[in-house]
This record gives sequence, C-alpha cells and structure tokens, in this order.
Amino acid sequence: MLKKYKPFLRAGAMDTLSYRFNILIWAVITVFQVACLVFLWLAVYRSSAGGMDAEIHGFTFREMIAYVVLTTVFNYVTFNNDTLWNINNDIRKGTIGNYLIKPISYRGKFAATSFGSLLTMTLLFGIPFYAAALLTLGGLGFLPDLSFPAFFVHLGLFLVAGLFASLLNDVIAYIFGVFCFYTTASWGLNSLKETLISFLSGTLLPLAFFPAGLRKVVSWMPFAGMSQNPVLILMMKYDLAESLRCLALTGAWIVALELFAKLLFSHAIRKVTVQGG
Amino acid sequence: MRYVHLYLTCIKRSMISRLEYKKDTLVALSSFFFSNLCSLAALYFILQSIPALAGYSLPEVGFFYGFSMLPIALDHLFSDELWLVAYRRVKDGDMDMHFLRPVPVLFQVFAETFQPEGFGELILGAALIAVCASNLTVAVTFGSVAVLFVGALFGAAIITSLKIAMAALAFIFKRSGPLLQVIYNFSNYAKYPLAIYPDFIRVLLIFVLPFGLFISLPVDTLLYGKHNPWLLCGAIIGCAAVFFALAVWVWTACERRYESTGS
Repeated sequence: MLKKYKPFLRAGAMDTLSYRFNILIWAVITVFQVACLVFLWLAVYRSSAGGMDAEIHGFTFREMIAYVVLTTVFNYVTFNNDTLWNINNDIRKGTIGNYLIKPISYRGKFAATSFGSLLTMTLLFGIPFYAAALLTLGGLGFLPDLSFPAFFVHLGLFLVAGLFASLLNDVIAYIFGVFCFYTTASWGLNSLKETLISFLSGTLLPLAFFPAGLRKVVSWMPFAGMSQNPVLILMMKYDLAESLRCLALTGAWIVALELFAKLLFSHAIRKVTVQGG
Repeated sequence: MRYVHLYLTCIKRSMISRLEYKKDTLVALSSFFFSNLCSLAALYFILQSIPALAGYSLPEVGFFYGFSMLPIALDHLFSDELWLVAYRRVKDGDMDMHFLRPVPVLFQVFAETFQPEGFGELILGAALIAVCASNLTVAVTFGSVAVLFVGALFGAAIITSLKIAMAALAFIFKRSGPLLQVIYNFSNYAKYPLAIYPDFIRVLLIFVLPFGLFISLPVDTLLYGKHNPWLLCGAIIGCAAVFFALAVWVWTACERRYESTGS
C-alpha cells in the first residue's frame, strides 16, 4: 500500500541532492548568525550576577553555546520541505487537478517527499555536521559529561525525535499550505509559520527563559518537539523518562494534526480557485 | 519633475493591484508585525534574567532595537523589488521589458513596488522608542535628535545602496539573492549596542558595513553624549553619498553586461 509513494520519496531525495551547492551559502549565512548569537550570549553571561560561571535558567554559558550550535544544525538537517510552496503552486497553476483524479493521497505525497529529503540530508550532511559539532563542542568542554553507554540510548531517541520533528514540520507546513486555498498571501502565511515555529520551538531562545505561565502553555504545544526537545535529548539534559514523555507528546500531536489536516483539506477542496492552468 | 510624476503613477498602479488582495496585505502585514514582536519578546525574556546588558539597561536596549527598525523599515517601503531582481527576475529572463523603455532601468525597478508592510515596522519601531524613552532620563539636545533623524533617513539610503549593488550582480551572475542576504543580515548585528562585540566586529560595523555608524553611534550619542552629534551627522551623510554613488556606478556597470536568459 505504501509502495505507490516510493517515487515521491525518491523525488524528494533527488531534489535535495540537486541543491547541495546551496549548502555553501547556508554555511556563510549561518556562521555569521551563530557568531552574533555567541557574542550576545557572551555579553549576557558576563553581565549576569554570577558572571561567566553563572547558570541562567538551567543553562551554563557553555551549554548555551552548545545549544545554539546544535539547534542550528538540527534545523538545517530536519526542516527541508517546500510543502507550502508546492501546494501554493499546485493551486495557482491548477496542477492540483492532476492529483485529485489519481488514487494517491495528496497528503501522502508530501509526507513521502519530505521523508525522502530528510533521509538525504541526514546521510549527506547530518552525520558529518553532528559529528563535527559534537566533537568540537565536546573537545572544548562545552558539552555536559556524556556517560557513554547511556549516550547511545539518547542518540537513538534523538534520531526518533528528529524523525518526529520532520513529520511535525511537514504536517504544519501542509496545514498552512492548505490555507493557501483561502488566500493568495502565501508569502505572509509562510513567514507566519516560520516565526511561530522559531519562537515556540525554542530555536530563538530556550523555553526555560519564558515566564512561568507562558512556559507551561507552550510546553503542551507541539512546537517544542520540533527543536528544543530533540536537542536537549541529545545533550542529555533530559533523563530517559523525560525524553520518552516528550516523544509521546510529539507523537500524539502528529496524529492530532494529521487528522485536522484531513478535515481542513476536505473543506478547502470545495473552495479551490485556480488561476490559469 | 517628470520622474516624480512617473513614479507616483507607477506606484498608484501597483497599489491598485495590491488592493485587489486586501486580505493578503493584511496577512502579510500582521505576519511582519508578529515576527518582530517575537524577536522583541525573546530579547525581553533574556534581559529579565540579568541586571543589564554590557551596562545597558532594559529600556536602553529596547531603544536600540526600536531605532534599528526605522532605517530598515524606510528601505523596505521603497526598494523591496531589488530582492526579486536578485533572486528571480534576472534568472527568469523577466527584466527584458525594462530595457525597452526610455527610462533608466534602476528607476523602473524602484517604481515597480511600494511595500506598505514597511509601515508596520515603522509603527512598531516608533512605539518601542516611545515606550523606552519614557522610561529613560536623558538630556535631549537639538543635536542628538538631529543625529537620530539623519541616522534613520540616510541610514535607509545606505541600506538601499548596499542592496542596489548586490542586486546588480545578478546581471552578471544571474542570481545574487543569497549574497544580498548575507550582507543584509548584518543589520541584525546593529540591533544591539556595539559594546557587546569584540573590536574587529565593531570596526567592521562602523567602517565596512556601516550599520553601526547610523544605528548604534547615534543612539549612544543621545543616551550618553558619546560623540559630537554634528560631526556624526556629517559622517553619516558623507557615507550615504559615497555608498549611493558607488551603488549607482556598480549598477550601471553590471547593467551593461546584461544578457537576457530568454523567456
């Protein structure tokens, strides 16, 4: 039954491969961005009451830098789909009609494509980048002490969390993509989605810095599972029980959002306005 | 005079086509507003956990942040089309029409879009400045206010000039968007006081990519009277003149090497 989605998986993988030169540009932009954050955190810890050795909201300076670097790599490797743009194109150009008459699910097509690109990214860039980041950070003493047999368990959980994060990201992109049936403001929708994710997933700032009430609410939302939780699992800041709890919550959200996406799509498809095609 | 008339006509036309999609403009505007609000909230949460950032209090850092939004917003209002030139339009062979008209191409690019989203940033920046200023006691002088105006206006001109020069490279390389992005992203550095950076970044931000010159130094002048306001005004205006002249020169030189990619 899943076999018919294999071509899309391969297409996603090939697509990602053909854009591998973008990585150079990504690297340049990212190095400057991370550097800016490092300077900011350096100033923050220097200015804090406890000085450079302070622990702010459970993070030492070294852990914070490790967190910044690892979330950056994680987001690059995990979030690689053009789902929103592709849906928008299908609507505007009218190619969506082609999918509606074929015996495959429109959602399934995107899930397969983004899984394909996750695999490529992980094999091609994920392994070298994580290895480089972990070895450098570890060598500089920026990682908490990793006790070894336990680390492999966390590494395994981290891979699962990465897969979950990718699925979650894809279903959220899909939901925002389906909103393009109602409005042509795809650019605004995309930036809304990116902001929402970067703020609530802990990419901009670990959720521990949020005020208590907001933190409580956000911790029950799906977003932390997209960035903060996987990285903290890898850094072993979460123990086994906490890690499993995070994974369960993320899993439940994936199911809930997939159901929501299904309902939304069946409503939206009656509204489709094709421009040309 | 003819160009003013032409510009207004083009912009009116572009606004009319925008009004067809009122709901979309609203979505775009609110997404912009929201994304700035989130960065601000993040900064606020960080500052809550420390007494001051490199000696700057919370309202002072907020003032920096708010002021940095003004030149960025002004540039955003007028020159958004340059992003499209850099990323897409040259590559798609979509620029040919401009070369057939008896008006400079650069002018036509500017007349193509007016981006009302910039007003969102402008309002948010001004509001942030107002809130932070009311929590600060500073000796306001005529000079220090003048330098803020000069910084915002001519700073916008410097940002636009940088964008023109980077977008122009697309005429040679077909796609210069990522390069433009790299340069433009340095404006993020100017959202915080220069004091948090090591010396070489400070030098870079004042003399090479002068975001610090027209954002950080004017604010420091207002808050602490660190620099002579009139000298600083002169430096910013001079810098804007040089950057603009260079940008137009680069644009003209690159334009001459334009080859259509076909359609």
